[in-house]
Amino acid sequence: MSLVLGIDIGGTFTDCIALTGEGDVRMGKSLSTPPDFDTGFIDAIGAVAASRDMDASAALAETTQILHGCTVGSNALVEHRTAKVALLTSRGHRDSLFTMQAGRRLRALGAEAIAHVAAHVKPEPLVPRSLVRELDERVAADGRVLAPLDEQQVREVVAELLADGVEAFAVSLLWSVANDAHEQTVARVIRELAPDAYLSVASQVVARTGEYERTVATVVNSLIGPEMDRYLSQLEDRCQAHGYAGTISIMTCSGGLVSTDEARALPVLTIGSGPVAGLIGARRLAATAAGHQASRAPVRTTNVITADMGGTTLDVGVVHEGVPISRVTSWYDQYEYFVPTLDVRSIGAGGGSIVQLDETSGTLRVGPRSAGSRPGPVCYSRGGTEPTITDADLVAGFLNPDYFLGGKMALDLDGATRAFAALGEPLGLSALETASAALRIVDNQMADAIRLVSVNQGFDPRAFTLYPCGGGGALHAAAIAAELGIPSISVPLSGLASGWSAFGVAGAEPLVVQELARPMREPFDPAVFTARFAELEAAALARLAGQGIAREDAVLTRHADVRYALQVNEVEVLAPSGDYDDASVRELLERFETEYARRYGEDSRYADAGFAVIGLRVRGRGAARELPLSAAQPDGPAPTPEPKGHRDVSFHRRGQGAEPVAVYDAAVIHPETVLRGPAIVELPGTSIVVPHDAVLRFDALGSAHITLAGA
Amino acid sequence: MTAVAPPRDAEVRWDGRVHSYRPQEDWRARLSPSLVLHDEADGELDPITFEVIRHRLWTINLAHGDTVTRISGSPVFQSLDFNMCILTEDGEYVMNAPFVQFLNAGAGLGARFIMERYGAEPGIEEGDVFVGNDPWVCAVHEMDVMFACPVFADGKLFAWTANAGHQYDLGGAVPGGWPQNAEDVFSDPTVFRPFKIVERGRMRADLEAMYLRQSRFPEMVALDMRAQISGCRYAAEQIQELCAQFGAATVKAAMRRILDGSQRALQEKLRRIPDGTWSEARYVDERLPGDRSTYRTQVNVTKRGDRLIFDNDGTEEQMIGPLGITFASFSGSALTPLSITMLPEQLFAVGGANRQVDLEPTPGRLTCVDHPAAVGAGVLNVIGHIAAVQTCVNRMLACDPELSEGIVAASPDFPVAVISGRDEDGRYYGQAVLDHFAMGLGARSHRDGVDTGGAAWSPLTFLLNVEAVEQFYPLVYLYRRELEDSGGAGRWRGGVGLAYAWMAYRAESMSLTCFGGGMATSAFGAEGVMGGYPSPSAHVHVLRETNVKKLLAAGRVPTQISDMQAAEAFSRPSKANTLPLGPDDVVEATVSGGGGYADPLERDPAHVARDVANGHASRTAAEAVYGVVLDDADGQPDAARTAARRRELRAERATWPLARDVLGPALGSGSAAGPAPDAAVAPATGEPPRAVHEALVARDEGAERVLSCRHCDAVLCGVGGDFKRHLRLHEGPVAELPGAKADAADFIDHPIVLRRYCCPGCFTLLSTEVARSGDAPFADMRLVSA
Repeated sequence: MSLVLGIDIGGTFTDCIALTGEGDVRMGKSLSTPPDFDTGFIDAIGAVAASRDMDASAALAETTQILHGCTVGSNALVEHRTAKVALLTSRGHRDSLFTMQAGRRLRALGAEAIAHVAAHVKPEPLVPRSLVRELDERVAADGRVLAPLDEQQVREVVAELLADGVEAFAVSLLWSVANDAHEQTVARVIRELAPDAYLSVASQVVARTGEYERTVATVVNSLIGPEMDRYLSQLEDRCQAHGYAGTISIMTCSGGLVSTDEARALPVLTIGSGPVAGLIGARRLAATAAGHQASRAPVRTTNVITADMGGTTLDVGVVHEGVPISRVTSWYDQYEYFVPTLDVRSIGAGGGSIVQLDETSGTLRVGPRSAGSRPGPVCYSRGGTEPTITDADLVAGFLNPDYFLGGKMALDLDGATRAFAALGEPLGLSALETASAALRIVDNQMADAIRLVSVNQGFDPRAFTLYPCGGGGALHAAAIAAELGIPSISVPLSGLASGWSAFGVAGAEPLVVQELARPMREPFDPAVFTARFAELEAAALARLAGQGIAREDAVLTRHADVRYALQVNEVEVLAPSGDYDDASVRELLERFETEYARRYGEDSRYADAGFAVIGLRVRGRGAARELPLSAAQPDGPAPTPEPKGHRDVSFHRRGQGAEPVAVYDAAVIHPETVLRGPAIVELPGTSIVVPHDAVLRFDALGSAHITLAGA
Repeated sequence: MTAVAPPRDAEVRWDGRVHSYRPQEDWRARLSPSLVLHDEADGELDPITFEVIRHRLWTINLAHGDTVTRISGSPVFQSLDFNMCILTEDGEYVMNAPFVQFLNAGAGLGARFIMERYGAEPGIEEGDVFVGNDPWVCAVHEMDVMFACPVFADGKLFAWTANAGHQYDLGGAVPGGWPQNAEDVFSDPTVFRPFKIVERGRMRADLEAMYLRQSRFPEMVALDMRAQISGCRYAAEQIQELCAQFGAATVKAAMRRILDGSQRALQEKLRRIPDGTWSEARYVDERLPGDRSTYRTQVNVTKRGDRLIFDNDGTEEQMIGPLGITFASFSGSALTPLSITMLPEQLFAVGGANRQVDLEPTPGRLTCVDHPAAVGAGVLNVIGHIAAVQTCVNRMLACDPELSEGIVAASPDFPVAVISGRDEDGRYYGQAVLDHFAMGLGARSHRDGVDTGGAAWSPLTFLLNVEAVEQFYPLVYLYRRELEDSGGAGRWRGGVGLAYAWMAYRAESMSLTCFGGGMATSAFGAEGVMGGYPSPSAHVHVLRETNVKKLLAAGRVPTQISDMQAAEAFSRPSKANTLPLGPDDVVEATVSGGGGYADPLERDPAHVARDVANGHASRTAAEAVYGVVLDDADGQPDAARTAARRRELRAERATWPLARDVLGPALGSGSAAGPAPDAAVAPATGEPPRAVHEALVARDEGAERVLSCRHCDAVLCGVGGDFKRHLRLHEGPVAELPGAKADAADFIDHPIVLRRYCCPGCFTLLSTEVARSGDAPFADMRLVSA
C-alpha cells in the first residue's frame, strides 16, 4: 500500500489526510505544537495511522509523498520569533519602510479602527531604523543606471552590520525589477562576507513594480527565513528518522506546491497557504465531482465561492470558470506586501466572535472582538464569559451539546443560555431570541462580506455554488446562501470539512510563478514578448526541475498584466503561446479588453488611451496528481434514513421560535438518499444545516449537496 | 475688486445666486406636488433588523466606492480623492465613507436644491442621475463634481445616493482646475448648475457632449463620469433591493434610527461640556500671484446646551483672487472635525449630528464667499479651515476628561506642486505631485501624532510609490524621507511630515506650478493645542543648474539640499505661476507634520532622545524647545543638564511681559485679573473644580468662580474671561519654529509672529498662535460658566 499524506498545520490543530491509491481517505488530528511544529506534525501522522492500526513510523515507511502546508512562518512573525534582519536599500529611500504609504496602511483594518483617528498608530517597524542602511546607487524606471554602485561602500556597510550581529539580510533597491545588476552585486558581496547569513533579494523574491510592497515582502522573507530553514531541516530529519525516504512538498499561497529548497528561499510564499489550500481543494473537488460518473449532484463545476468559517475569521475565496481568483498583495498587520497569492479574504467573523450590546444604538453587535479558542466560547468551559457565535449556534439548536467533535468535548448549553439571557435582558429578549438574533446578524454580515468580495471583482454571487468548510461553515452556509441568492451549496467531502485545508494540500499540484516587471507601452515589439517569455519559461522549468519535475511533465502557462495607459486597473490575462508576431500581440490585447469589460463593465473600456503591459508571468505546474477518491457503489435503492432523534432548532430566517427538527447521523446516509429540510446532519467535525424546503443529497464521493428552495 | 463685491442686500437670500444655496426652514413647503417623498417609517423596527440593515447600508456604500474606482481606473480616484454617501429622501447623511470627508458636504445641499427647483420641471424620476459642480450649491470647488441619484420605493422618492470626486479637467484658465491667477469664477473651471445627465436610465447624449466639451481631457472625464454615475446607480439599485426584502418603511426606520443615534450621541457628549465659545484665527496668504499680503479668517464654535453654532466673525471680506471658500465648504469643514474627534463610533455618518449644528457664517467673507469669487484654487483653504475648526473643537473637548481622549491636533496646510509638460515622445502630462498625503498626524492628548500617518480628514488617502510616480511621469526622485522637526513640538508632538526632491528625466519639458493653503509656505503648517507648538512652514524649493548629474555619475546620491551645488536657489511663493525647469534643476518640496499637544518642556526626555535617534527631531530643537540635553556619547538624556536647561527656559519665560500689558485688557474678566470692562465677575458656584483645558481648572476662589492653573494654582481670571490676556506672552518671528523652511518676510510684507503664552505662576505654556504682528488676539475660550 502506498500513502500520500497531506498535512496542514494551523494555529490550533494539525490535520493529516492520508490517501491510498485505492481512493480511501482518512483524517487524523492533533494539537499544533509551536514553536517545534514538527512534533505536532508527527502526532497527526500518528493519529491517522492509528485508524489503520499502525504507528507513525509504519505509516511513513509506506508513504510515497508528503504534501505539507505550514503556519510556521506566520507564527514566527506574529510571535516575533524572527531573525535580526538588516535591510539594504537605495540612498534617499530608507524611509519607504516607515512611511508605510501613509493612510493606505489602514486599508485592511475594520471600519471602526479606520474611523478612530485618535487611536491611529503605526506598528513597530519590521526592521529597526539602525539596521536599515542606504547605499549610494540609482537605477531609473527604464533600467538605466543613473548612479553607479560603489562595491567598496557595500563591503563596509555589510561588515558593520555583521559586526552588529545581523543574522539575515534583505536587499531591496529602487527599480531592481528593471535592472537587477546592483542588487546582484550587493548579494554577491553579502554571500562572500557572510556565506551563512540568510539573504533575500527583492528582484528574486517578487518582481513587481512598487518599492514599498516589494521591500516589505523581501524583509518578511528574511525575517522568517532562518526559522523556516530550521523547521524544515528538523522536519526532514524527523521524517527520515521515521524511515521516510521521499521528498516533502510545501504548500504556497500561490495555490501550489514547491520543494523544501524553494520554501527555504521563499518562505514568504507559505504565509496564508492554509486558506488557499482550502480553495484549491474545493476547486479540485468540483472538477473531480463534475467528471465523476457516479455523481448525480447538481455541481456547478466552474463557479465556486468558498467560505471557511473558523474560530476567529471567515475566509472567502472565489473560483471563476475553474480559475481561482488571485491578487498581488497580502497584509501582515498594517504592512502590505507583494506576493503572488490566491485571493482569499479574511473577515473578522467566526465562531469565536463576541456578541455584545451596543449601548448607544440599543442593539446587538457581533465582533469584531473575538474570544478565539482561549478563553473561547462560554460553552467550551475554558473561562469564556462573553457569549459568542458558537454559543449562539448551540443555544439555537444547531449544535449538539453531546456530539461536538464527535462527542469528544461536551458543550455547556446551560452556561451559554445564561450568558445570552443576561445579554438579551435589556432588550427584552429571551436567551433563545438573543442567540437567534446574533446568528441573524452574523449571517448577514458574512453575506455582506461575500457581496463586497464579489462586487469588487465583478461577479454576481447568484451564479456560484457555495462551498462551506471549517467547523462552522456548514452550520451557516444555508442562511448565507439564502441571503445572497446563491442557489446551491456543496459541503465538500463532509467528513473532512474540519480538516479541509489538509485535503487541499493533498490535492494541490507543484506550481512555480516566475515574474518579470518591465513596463512596456505601445507600440509593442513582438520580439520582446518572445524573448522575455522564453527567459521566464526557462527559469520556471529550472525551478520545476529542482523539484524533480521533468520538462515533459511540466505545464507552462503565460500571463500578462495589462492596463490602459494612464489608468491604474491592471488585469492579468492568459497570454498566447509560441513566438510572438503582431497577431499575437493583438490577441493578447483583445483578451485584455474582454476581461476588462467583464470585470469593470462595458462602459469602462478606454482603448483611446492606448495600452500598457506592466508585467509578464509564467506559471509552471507539474502534472496534476491523480486524486483517487473512492465512490461508494449504491447497492440497491436507497433506504429511507432514520433520524437519530429530534431537537428544537430556531431558524432565524423563519422568524419563529424553536421547532422540532430531525437530526441524522451522517454515517447512516446513503449516497442516493434525498433528504428534505428542515434537518440537521451531524458529522464529527461539523453539522450540516438543511433549511426548510431545501433538498440534500450526498454524492458517491461523500460530499453533501443542498439545493435551496426556489433554486 | 469690484468684480466680486457682492450686492449688499438688505436681507440675505441664500438662493445660490449671489449667496450660496441653503435650504430654508420651510424648503419642504416649496416642493412640487408631483414630487412625493417617502417618509413612512416602521415604528416597530426591532433592534436586530436594524443592525442587519445598518450593516448592509454600510456595505452598499463601500461597494458604491469600489464601483467608482474600478470603472474610472483613474489614478486620482485610486488615491481616494473622492467620497460617497447615502442620504435620506430629504437629504440627511445616513452613510459616509472614510475618504476625503468634506467632499460630501455638497451632496445634502445638492439633493435639496434639486428637489426644490426641479421637482416639477424637468422632474425627478426613477433612473435619473443629476450632476453639478456649482460651488454655491453642491461642490467644494468646481473640480469635485457631485453626482446624485434619487432612489424610489413604492413610487415615492425614498433616498439619494451621491458621490463627489476630483475629475481630471473641466476647463478654466489653467489645466487641472486650480487657477492661481483667477480673479473671479469666470477664470475657474466651468461651473455647472445641477442638471439631469441621465434621464430614466438613459444618458442624455447632448448634455454629455456639452459637459465633455469643457474639458482638456474629454475621454478621461468621460470615464470618470461613467464611473461616478455607475457608482451611485449601483448603490441605488442595492437600496431598492433592500426595500424589496425588508419593506421600504422598515429600511426608512433603520435610516432614521441611524440618524437619531448619531444625533443623540452628539447631544449627550455636548451636554458634558460647559457652555462657551472657542475660537481660532488663521491667515491665508496671497490673493493672487505676486501679492505679498496675508488675510485673516476666524471661526468661532459656540456650544449652548446640546447645540453647536459655527460663525465666521473676525474674518475679512472676500476679495479678488481664489482665497475664499463657499458655504458648502464651510459646512464640510464644520462637520469633518466633529466626525473625527467626537463621533468615531458613528463611522462618519454625521447626518444626525448635523441636526444639532447651526451654521451661521456671514456671507461675503473669505470663509463664505459670494458669487462670482474665484474658488477653484481655494480648495486647500478648506483644509486650513478644517484645521481651524478642529483646533476649536479640540479646545472644547479638553473640558471633559473622557472626550479629551478624542483630541487630535490639526493636520497641516501644505503646498501642492503641479508638474506639467511633454515627455520625450512629445506626450502631454500634467499632475499634482501627491506626496503631501504623507503629512504627519496631529498629536493626541495621550500620544504623539503618527509620523507620515496621513490626513486626519481623509484617513485612507495614501502616498504613492516612487516607482508608481516615475512610471507615470518623466521624473526621477532623488530622495523622499521623513522630515526632522516637521511635527509641532509638545509634550506629545505632532507626527512628522516628508521631504522629497525630484528632477526631470527623459522629459522634453517640465514646468512647475505651485499653490499652497493658509500660511504653509510662509509661517506654519498646523496649529498646536494646549500650549503645544504649531508645526513649521514647508516649502517648494527650486535649485537651478545643479551639479546633481555629476554627483550621480560619481556615485553620490544627494539626500538634502546642502548636498548639491546650484547656480541659484529660491523657494516658490504660495501662489506661483508656471515656472519652466531646466534639465539640471532640482525641486525639493516638503510637507509639515501635525500640531503639538501641551508644553514641550513636559515631554519625557527619553522620547526626545528617541526622536533625535530616529531623525524626527534635531539636537537643536531638543535643547531649544524641549530643554533636553543629550549625552554626546550615547545620545541618552543627561538628567542633570536637562533639568538645568529646563529651569533656564522657564526662567526665561518668567521675564515675558503679561499679555494684557502688551495687547491691552480688552477681553479681561474678573477682579483677580484686574479691570474687567466686558464681563461681570462670575460668582462662586459651590461646584467642585472642573478641568477646562489641559492645564486649567474652573474653581471657586472665595466668592468668585475663576480659571486657575492646574499646576501652580495661580488664579488667571474670572471663569468667563479670556485667559490668554492674563498669561505671560512672548512674541517672536515665526521662523524661530524649529524646522521652519521659510522666513515669512520673504513672502509677506507684514511681520508674522509666533505668540507663546505661559502661566504667570509656573511658566507652563498654555497656548500658542501665529498672527500678523499687531493683530488683536482672539480668545481661545470664553466660558459662559463652568
